[in-house]
Amino acid sequence: MNKFNYIQIFFLISLFLINGCSNNISSNVTTLDPFESLNRKVFYFNKKLDDKIINPISKSYAENIPEKARNSIGSHLEWMNLPNTIINSTLQLNVENTILTSAKFLLNGLTLGFYDLDNNETKVIKKDFGSTLAKYKVPEGPFLMVPFLGPKTTRQFSGFIVDQQNHSNMISGKVDNINLIEQPIKIIHSREKLSDTIDSIYKSSDPYIKMRSFYLQNRRSTVNSNKKNRKLELEKDYEFEKFLQ
Amino acid sequence: MNLKNFYNKNYIRTTFIFLFIFQLFFLLFTMEVKADGLKKAKDTVELLLSEAKIHATETIHLDPIIRTKQIKSLIEKYINIDFMARATTGPFWKKATNLQKQSYKSALLNQIINTIEVHLNKLSNLTYKTIKTEPRGTKLIYIRGIIEDLDKVQPSVNLLWKVALNKESNYQILDLEIENISLISSHKAETTSLLRRNKGNFDILIEKLNKTK
Repeated sequence: MNKFNYIQIFFLISLFLINGCSNNISSNVTTLDPFESLNRKVFYFNKKLDDKIINPISKSYAENIPEKARNSIGSHLEWMNLPNTIINSTLQLNVENTILTSAKFLLNGLTLGFYDLDNNETKVIKKDFGSTLAKYKVPEGPFLMVPFLGPKTTRQFSGFIVDQQNHSNMISGKVDNINLIEQPIKIIHSREKLSDTIDSIYKSSDPYIKMRSFYLQNRRSTVNSNKKNRKLELEKDYEFEKFLQ
Repeated sequence: MNLKNFYNKNYIRTTFIFLFIFQLFFLLFTMEVKADGLKKAKDTVELLLSEAKIHATETIHLDPIIRTKQIKSLIEKYINIDFMARATTGPFWKKATNLQKQSYKSALLNQIINTIEVHLNKLSNLTYKTIKTEPRGTKLIYIRGIIEDLDKVQPSVNLLWKVALNKESNYQILDLEIENISLISSHKAETTSLLRRNKGNFDILIEKLNKTK
């Protein structure tokens, strides 16, 4: 076991401990953000990084690379992530999603994912280790703003580390090589795709809170079970009816 | 006298039949009222979008001030600003003065206008389709729809409109969820955080909102 693995394990244990200490105080309604002041600092660091480096690159990426080529890159990045969905769908005992994702991965493997051979007909639900943890009722944990990576919950961040390790192990024996090329492309591509949303967040009166709210709402709706989402909808309805009186 | 004989007595039988028919009529009537409400709520959303689409194409060469004025009247017609103002400030609403309430409402309206103006020109290439309408509780109606790109370049976007009757008994939109992100929830998070940090001072909130035009 090399030094990198030890650091990763130590990091994961600390994240689980943070998660455990946070307990699950009905974390779907309230926002657990005990590190808000630190998170705000990281958010403004990320924003500066975005202003100076990522946004200019993503703009020139959008201007210089034709839309079809960008779509192909996006499709390839999604294909590269399918093995993670296969593993996590299996862990979540979602047989249908496992089969569909495996079929899609094999089919699009003929083009290395650069061209979607089934024309997006197969609807695959993306799964990561964070969602697997959620499935097995691991609490969401506090909200974190991670340097370079952006908003995450501790649960999702722990899952992200596991996913990255799986991903690297599957594609290459060495951890660094593939991530060094893939991660920057992924960041630039996502920034370009989400440019309208991110710009609207930066223009708001409190960008940090807006980013947190957008992220948590989106993450919860994708990770939560249908039953939990329905319960949340009912709670919102009740609140709305109160204001309608 | 057994139960059959008791039932066969004319007046008992007539009462039962009358009650049954009355219940049937009542059920049909309430069902029709509900269906009518669902249709009206669905029409509200579809009318807003079609009017916005027409507005986007017809007013493109107009003076920006006139264009903004027209959008404003469109929003006031279809969106319940009063509800939005109350829902996005939560418990702080009651503590605000009437003047602050009015200023906050107009700042909120301006924010919505700005957001719509940014995205208005993109509407011409999109189509909207209602998927499902469902009554929720006694007052709310959910309208689920999807926006699709005609050129199939952009992925389709799921929308959820929350509609209810206003004080004048017209259907108005209360909230819109785009891919499960509620506009009210995200705006509420922002305003309540600002209010909390400034000890409930509405003036600072209004100033901040006006600055972010």
